Amino acid sequence: MGRNEIRLRRNKISSRRIDHYRNYGELMSRHEQNQKIKRLTKVFIYFLLILFMGIILFMVFRWEQKQDLKKPTSHTEISFASENNIRTL
Amino acid sequence: MTEAEIRDEYEILKRSRTQPMAFGELYEKYFERIFNFIFRQTDDEALTGDLTSQTFLIALNNASKFEFRGVPVSAWFYRIASNEVNKHYRKKKRTNVFSIEEVQMKKLIQQGDDELDEELIQKLITYLKELPTDMLKVLELRFFEDKDFKEIAFILEISESGAKMRTYRALDRLRQRFNLRIKYDGKE
Repeated sequence: MGRNEIRLRRNKISSRRIDHYRNYGELMSRHEQNQKIKRLTKVFIYFLLILFMGIILFMVFRWEQKQDLKKPTSHTEISFASENNIRTL
Repeated sequence: MTEAEIRDEYEILKRSRTQPMAFGELYEKYFERIFNFIFRQTDDEALTGDLTSQTFLIALNNASKFEFRGVPVSAWFYRIASNEVNKHYRKKKRTNVFSIEEVQMKKLIQQGDDELDEELIQKLITYLKELPTDMLKVLELRFFEDKDFKEIAFILEISESGAKMRTYRALDRLRQRFNLRIKYDGKE
């Protein structure tokens, strides 16, 4: 068997027969449907992006809060003043 | 096709980005040609109907992506159609079919006789069977669709010199094997 299959036709397919497959209305409805799906996909992707950004922001906020809590409390220096020198605790 | 006509069609396509109904004009004009082009590569009416409508749907959905490069809008339709046919064969894993009309065969080989010799036809079919698919596609576009090399290059996504080379190689083989006069001989 060759690389291609060659068939010989006696006649060209008639315009009338081709017209049978012509359907612009169907093409338009399929196009509208595709546009709707495209728009919905876009909205969904934007929603996911916003959600992802929100989660990231929330996590950063939480991490900052944790970091604040972990920070050591500041020491209070109490000084006793004696007569000649100052002793620091 | 004149430069002005090409521009006009491009304007229609541009308009169809916002007004899809405008696309109807191009659809009506090229439906039959694209149908015949696909039918020649499938020999299946129902499948051709599906692939043709898929071709126009892809074109309409991607109207905003078409860039004007001096080739007619129809060349873009042919390119999409060709890709759809390739996709179909890849999916089905079948041998490519080329269904050629006898009239077209006569046009390709200008013998002068009204009837083509049966033996010669069989020899030609055997020859075409062994020809690489890409060469056959170039021949189809050049002789059955009357496309110039610039358009062929755009449709098959190859260079113009590549399209010329493929055509001339195929024709040279045809001449050597069959000692025939080929359509376009002596013409560019």
